[in-house]
Amino acid sequence: MQDIRLRIAAALVLTLSAFFSLAGAALAFLWWIAWSGKVSEIMRMRMILPVAGMLAFFSAVLSLTGGDGVSYFLRMMVIVLVGSWVYAEQKSGEFLHLGVWLLGNRIGFELGMLADMAMQTLHLMVRDFETIRVAQALKGTGTAGKMLVPAGLVLVTGALSRAEHTAELMAVRGYRCGGSLCPRFLTTRGDIFRCMTALCILIITVIPVSEFFILYR
Amino acid sequence: MRIDLDAVRVVRDSWSVSATGTFTEGIHLISGDVGSGKTTLARVIAGLSPPTSGAIRREDITHPMISFQFPEHHVTGSTVSEECSSWGLDPTVILKQASLQEKAGLSPLRLSRGELKRLHLACVLSQEYDLLVLDEPFSSLDCKEKARACTTISGRARGITIIFTHEQSQFPRVDMLWEIVDGSLHCRGNLPDALRTWEHAPEIVRALIRRGKEPANLTRQDIREAACRT
Repeated sequence: MQDIRLRIAAALVLTLSAFFSLAGAALAFLWWIAWSGKVSEIMRMRMILPVAGMLAFFSAVLSLTGGDGVSYFLRMMVIVLVGSWVYAEQKSGEFLHLGVWLLGNRIGFELGMLADMAMQTLHLMVRDFETIRVAQALKGTGTAGKMLVPAGLVLVTGALSRAEHTAELMAVRGYRCGGSLCPRFLTTRGDIFRCMTALCILIITVIPVSEFFILYR
Repeated sequence: MRIDLDAVRVVRDSWSVSATGTFTEGIHLISGDVGSGKTTLARVIAGLSPPTSGAIRREDITHPMISFQFPEHHVTGSTVSEECSSWGLDPTVILKQASLQEKAGLSPLRLSRGELKRLHLACVLSQEYDLLVLDEPFSSLDCKEKARACTTISGRARGITIIFTHEQSQFPRVDMLWEIVDGSLHCRGNLPDALRTWEHAPEIVRALIRRGKEPANLTRQDIREAACRT
């Protein structure tokens, strides 16, 4: 999807659909298979597996305490996949355009720029994590669990240091608040169709279809 | 011990770097401009990234190590002293080598980039490896520390050591000279003959060659000896 407004809207309604019911999650998953377009790239993301493991753990706990752990796991996994699709599709600068379009050149610009900078930091952290993982494996640090704390420390310290430097640099260059931007989006018919399909999934999920047919009779 | 690069090529969008050649035991220097593909090639040679095409053959290399440009990526200890121990080394010896005795109890992430690089190089260069790939080992170091690192690298007796750098002022003793030019790795050969065709040669080396005072190698001592030659 080229248009970030439609992409975010689609992701939002698909997330709600998956959250509300298992049927909604199944439909959202079908949508994800059909339209996400980067299935292989998304599945290659290293974070998917640890997140799935974490969800499996909480689902097992839920099942043991009398809840429906399987349903929880499946619905949450679909939400994770939808989130991964948004992350994979994201292009630099998009949130700035979205922010200005939504909330104008002051608050919108600020929030959009913050979101873009956060995404940029996330990309850098993913890249750095890969390098740290290799460095620690060569060093013979041991298990994955043992490496997580030092890796996390390096990543968080690095991100905070970069944020501080960026803030200082922007202040030195005279940035105070807001900015001027004419938001631009590339909207295709395909994007609109996909977004409408996602909306239909939400409607089907939220409206009790069986009751609708009873009323009709 | 050897590494053969057989028509290795890494392609990213419209950018690419290609390499063919053999690395045997000794110290290899690979120079190239910023963005020429040094880090990419370093990762490929170390076996961390697969090439887009071509093949890499490694013979008798069981203990490889790569030193990344940013030393914080290697940090696992919560104190400087622990960081030394995490490499299986005696902190007292390493901290003395790196002149960081007073910072033993600090977090490595609170050291300056230069201090951390110093500590990291002291740890890496204290060990024996079949293959040691050093990606920009002299970045963030001052002249004194560069000289110290060069002396330690020059003293490496066994294994393949490959240095990727755009450094122009200080070098260790080098056995084989390479450079990345126009997206491809070129072997310039053994020193001192390689200096004549080295495109990334520092100005002082060029000047010495112009005056017919070709240095025997690239260490400060070699340069000084050539400059003083009558």
